[in-house]
Amino acid sequence: MENFEPVIVAFCCHYCAYTAADMAGSQRLPYPSNVKIIRVPCSGQVDSLHIVKAFEKGADGVYVAGCLDGDCHFKNGNVKAAKRIAYVQKYLEEIGLESERLEMVNISAGMGHRFAEVASTITEKIRKLGPSPIKASASL
Amino acid sequence: MQNSKTNQNNKVLVVGGGLGGIRTALDLAEAKKNVILIDKDYTIGGLMTQLDRTFPTNNCDLCTIAPHLSESNRQEYIELLTMTTVSNVSGEKGNFSVTLTSKPRYINLERCTACGDCLTHFPGCVRFNPGLDHRAPTCMRYPQATPQAYSIDLDKCEDVEALVKICKAGAINLDDMPINREIKCSSIVLSPGADVFDPSHLDYLGYSNLPDVVTSLEYERILSASGPTGGELLCPSTGKQPKKVAWIQCIGSRGLQKEAGAYCSNACCMFALKEAIVTKERFQKDIETTIFYMDMRTFGKDYELYLNRAKNEFDVRFLRSRPHSILQPDGTTDLTLSYTKEDSTKRFEEQFDMVVLSTGFKTSADTRQLAEKMGIELNSDFFPITEEFNPVVTTKPGVYVAGTFEGPKDIPETMVQASAAACLAAADLPETIVEAQAPKEELVERDVLLEEPKVGVFICDCGDNIGSVVNVDNLVAHAAALPYVAVAKAEGHGCSRSSMEDIRKTIVEEGLNRVVIGGCSPRTHEEKFQDLLQKAGLNKYLVEIANIRDQATWVHSGKPKEAEKKAEDLIAMSVASVVQAHPLEDQTIPMNKNVLVVGGGITGMTAALNLADRGYQVYIAEKSDKLGGLANFLLTTLEGGDIQAFVANMIEKVKSHDNIQVITRALIVDHSGMPGMFTTGMQSGPQMSYRQIEHGITILATGAKSNRPKQYLLDESPLVKTQLETQRYLFENPDKVKQWQNVVMIQCVGSRTKDNPNCSRICCQNAVKNSLAILDINPDARIFVLYRDMRTYAFQEKYYQMARERGVVFVRYDQDKPPVVEAAGDTIDVTYYDTILGMNVTVCADNLCLSTGMIADQESNKELAMIFKLPRTEDGYFLEDHVKLRPVDMPVPGFFVAGTAHSPKLIRESVTQANAVAARAQTMLAQDEISLGATAAIVDGKLCAACLICVRACPFGVPFINADGYSEIDPAKCHGCGMCVSECPAKAIQLMQFEDDRILAKVEQLFERITA
Amino acid sequence: MITAERKPLEELIEYIKPFKRILLLGCNECVTVCAAGGRKEVGMLASGLQMARLKSGTSVEIQQHTIERQCDPEYVEELASMIDGADAVLSMACGCGVQQIAMRYKDKPVFPALNTKFMGASERQGVWAERCQGCGDCLLGITGGICPISRCAKQLMNGPCGGSTTGKCEISEDVDCAWQLIWDRLKTLGLTERYLDIIPAKDWRTGGGSGPRKIIREDLAE
Repeated sequence: MENFEPVIVAFCCHYCAYTAADMAGSQRLPYPSNVKIIRVPCSGQVDSLHIVKAFEKGADGVYVAGCLDGDCHFKNGNVKAAKRIAYVQKYLEEIGLESERLEMVNISAGMGHRFAEVASTITEKIRKLGPSPIKASASL
Repeated sequence: MQNSKTNQNNKVLVVGGGLGGIRTALDLAEAKKNVILIDKDYTIGGLMTQLDRTFPTNNCDLCTIAPHLSESNRQEYIELLTMTTVSNVSGEKGNFSVTLTSKPRYINLERCTACGDCLTHFPGCVRFNPGLDHRAPTCMRYPQATPQAYSIDLDKCEDVEALVKICKAGAINLDDMPINREIKCSSIVLSPGADVFDPSHLDYLGYSNLPDVVTSLEYERILSASGPTGGELLCPSTGKQPKKVAWIQCIGSRGLQKEAGAYCSNACCMFALKEAIVTKERFQKDIETTIFYMDMRTFGKDYELYLNRAKNEFDVRFLRSRPHSILQPDGTTDLTLSYTKEDSTKRFEEQFDMVVLSTGFKTSADTRQLAEKMGIELNSDFFPITEEFNPVVTTKPGVYVAGTFEGPKDIPETMVQASAAACLAAADLPETIVEAQAPKEELVERDVLLEEPKVGVFICDCGDNIGSVVNVDNLVAHAAALPYVAVAKAEGHGCSRSSMEDIRKTIVEEGLNRVVIGGCSPRTHEEKFQDLLQKAGLNKYLVEIANIRDQATWVHSGKPKEAEKKAEDLIAMSVASVVQAHPLEDQTIPMNKNVLVVGGGITGMTAALNLADRGYQVYIAEKSDKLGGLANFLLTTLEGGDIQAFVANMIEKVKSHDNIQVITRALIVDHSGMPGMFTTGMQSGPQMSYRQIEHGITILATGAKSNRPKQYLLDESPLVKTQLETQRYLFENPDKVKQWQNVVMIQCVGSRTKDNPNCSRICCQNAVKNSLAILDINPDARIFVLYRDMRTYAFQEKYYQMARERGVVFVRYDQDKPPVVEAAGDTIDVTYYDTILGMNVTVCADNLCLSTGMIADQESNKELAMIFKLPRTEDGYFLEDHVKLRPVDMPVPGFFVAGTAHSPKLIRESVTQANAVAARAQTMLAQDEISLGATAAIVDGKLCAACLICVRACPFGVPFINADGYSEIDPAKCHGCGMCVSECPAKAIQLMQFEDDRILAKVEQLFERITA
Repeated sequence: MITAERKPLEELIEYIKPFKRILLLGCNECVTVCAAGGRKEVGMLASGLQMARLKSGTSVEIQQHTIERQCDPEYVEELASMIDGADAVLSMACGCGVQQIAMRYKDKPVFPALNTKFMGASERQGVWAERCQGCGDCLLGITGGICPISRCAKQLMNGPCGGSTTGKCEISEDVDCAWQLIWDRLKTLGLTERYLDIIPAKDWRTGGGSGPRKIIREDLAE
């Protein structure tokens, strides 16, 4: 457990968070390598199914990163995403997973710092929560 | 880059790479015109990049326009020269010779990879804005953050040789010399911007010795996340969050201080409002914000609503007063403002923690020199003298101006002028014979549908960027073992010419049908590799980029093992995903090059003439039976321009133009099609006969109506007139005007009210104009202007000043205590409350002029909005795509709006918008077909349950249930967000390029590896 | 349409506990439209059940399948081979579908994954409201198109009751008083005199009061 390195999937909107991740890169802002980014055209495209599948396959944490409030390139994708995340969080609780393993964050394209910061905080949080009970059992 | 043509005059020189200059250059480039864009700074971006957020959306919105800009056009048509100034100009319109001088950058841009090694080791002597972000990270959003390279300050460098050595790319070139080059161009657009007034010499404001007295721009930097305080609002002196912040308006504007301009700086009221609102929004609600102002000038589109929000929602306190001084009592950090209020003669003192000086615009010495070199004349405030109806045209033919260099203004107006300048500058270019483009090699695409996936993985070392952190050979070995991978190779700099050629060859020789590049970001390089695939005979959507540089080696360089493992994962995920990729086709539709202009007023005619002159067929559909619109009722402008002559001349030109067809009494009844190929049906002529017009562009120039509220005895007493009627009366009955003793004007009649909350923008200058005209006829007339805020923005301020000097009495009234008007025989009694006297005053007026302003033509706009499916503002004007950055583009591609259909404005401003619209339209008209990309949602009808969830989920209203009973999404209209996909309960919709199986393949691959 | 909602996961886990191979069966009709039992929800539930199982240290084989309508025998017939390969069926259809499966595959345990709720209409995205209780003798023609049986908490035939205040029902501020709605609608239609007509006590036999109901179309029935 001490050497537990969580695997975290970050669904990032092309127009904001994905760009912010690139920005964190060009500014060489380190964050934990546990975070693996999957690019999507809009946080509103991230299906509840994508999220639960990630957990089913063994993700220790998942987050969806969309644009700041009012900044969505497609009007309201980030708002829809936030609602969806709240819904899936409840489902995770039903399954017996801590809902804290899933999170919605808002990051604008320019916020390289914030991207790195969010990646670090979420990784730390998941590290404290420990390995996903699903992965732990699956590998038994 | 068409450098080979440097010696020809077939291009436009744009001076100044701020927001305006960039807009001008992009408009020209997208219309396939050659541009040289120069800026004296070492990257482009200008003043806006220093702003934290912009009004009225409180966002930094540059990102929303970036995706629309076409990369290839930029590269092909724009030559960008930074650190470059104009040394000499000769020649004339159509054939200028310009000498440009570039300072040495000491860095070879071709070689620099922006790796940052030089900055890390020699921070003192390297100048770097990562794009633009050093000052405002939000603006890095803009891919135009160009060039993304460094520059060296040699004077500060102690160990030059070590510096040269540190650069592995060998990009540091100490032999760099200032370069002079001669270029030829047909026309020149000047948008070098303006400076901000420096209040240091105004000792009573204490700016130079009190750290907590800052300018509005400095305050902006304090608010900014990338600013000196990291986005925290802190007093510079104490480092504590202020509890009370005050803004003082008109610093350096309206001729009030030493060295101040006589003009109003136009944008500062909104600027201060924004800062006050953001202060409340972002920090504590309980920070007290006070704005000391003379007149709140929120005259732009929906700006009044912003003012109301500041007052009502955010509790910003407004004090109509000019503080006398800012002092600091000894031993404290307080700032003491002493001021008096408008209804009092007492002196008040109040403590603040911070004071923000709303400093205005000022032309700089540099730009004055530039003007001199260009040979354009300047006015007494050192702004260019421009044509009376066309503010981007200077006194020198072929030289145009835009942005704050032309006059103080905000971003939307800068954008409009920039587009307008692009339009006029393009018109000066020689007729280009549409070069029979060397027939593009017909790229044959191999059909791979039935083939087993055969993936090639090419991994870059990107110099040290990837290779120094991870072992590329290990990555290659790992990739080679993945399913379906036929070839895995290290490629050095994958994007270099030789590597690209090697990848192409490998694809062809090995018969690959899918490609993964392990390298940098798909945001910047996807297009490049897509082109490469096409050259190799593959569909361009069969490539995927694993971002192992920006999102692995750059951020995990301290932990190379982890970085390598992550890079392996990212590559494996991309392979899994690309295996699921299938060939896609870009949606393209042919561009119909006819233009429909709705509305035949000055705006519509101006746009029509511009486009018709460029050879496009234009139809003007005018609702009434004649051209000219509202301008038919206007006589002269504030500056004395003859409107009737202007309109008559324009109508004549339109009528005799071969490429313009005017349809009067036209009523638009139906509309269909998509951007680039619209069909609009209308009834026209006395018989109302029906006809259809096919067109690719629609320009809305439907104008507005002059307002006529039933107030103050209007239409009841012959002595009460609107300003519009007054002007005509002055012209027709000067003898009667000579008899007038007292004239009263009431402002904001029917504007800035509950029913019509916005400001009509034009009325204050109208009142000033008519006051001066009355005094010209009858110098003894006593004129009282009852106003709420005098909004004589920019250079109109001069006339307001003049009116006061000539004795016009301006009295402010409160909205809650409006003047009372009573008929009294031959006169009209107007009673108002005078705050200074503290009592009611009655004037027996011979004439009462009401400034009734403009309102949207609700009925016809509503009708048109429904037919064309366009959004409107709450008060009925058409709503543009982006208030800040796309002020004349409608959200539906192919639709543009200009003139008073957009919001109330003056003729000059309408003409500018009309020119801007013509430029924006040409960016589309220059294309033979419109590409819509391939990212569209596609419904599988067999799975669809016709539940309507997608219909409701789509932010753009695209899906519909078709005649076959299932949902259909027109790929030409789909914006590609995928929201319908994620909400569909039947999983009947897939978003191309981001299909579920591709996303899930990534997820599965990632964990397969981990659990394995 | 028939509306339904997924049962609590706990209950479903309990159902399938003894089994190794589950057929999770969606329906592309009403329950897809109300986002309870279509392909998407099948995927969500499959994943949820799998995770719950994994968490308890076992795993389960879940085959996901969605058919056009579970309440029609022909569609159900096509499932034969698939059902053969499963130990149990978890149906995401309404109660009608679940029973149809149970009837046809008598030796296979079939469990409902949903609670069937009511016949309702879609108010807006994501919101469905009860509109009909299938009383078999529609009153809408005289109640201004608003059903007092499904929309009045007391099913009053001659309302409203004393609990109606400012147009809302006393059971909740979120529930409109059906009789207020009826009155408003009659007023709009200019038919307020109809309000004075007394509706006689309802004969509930048509509504299932005399046992399970059946409709036979003689011209069609074979």
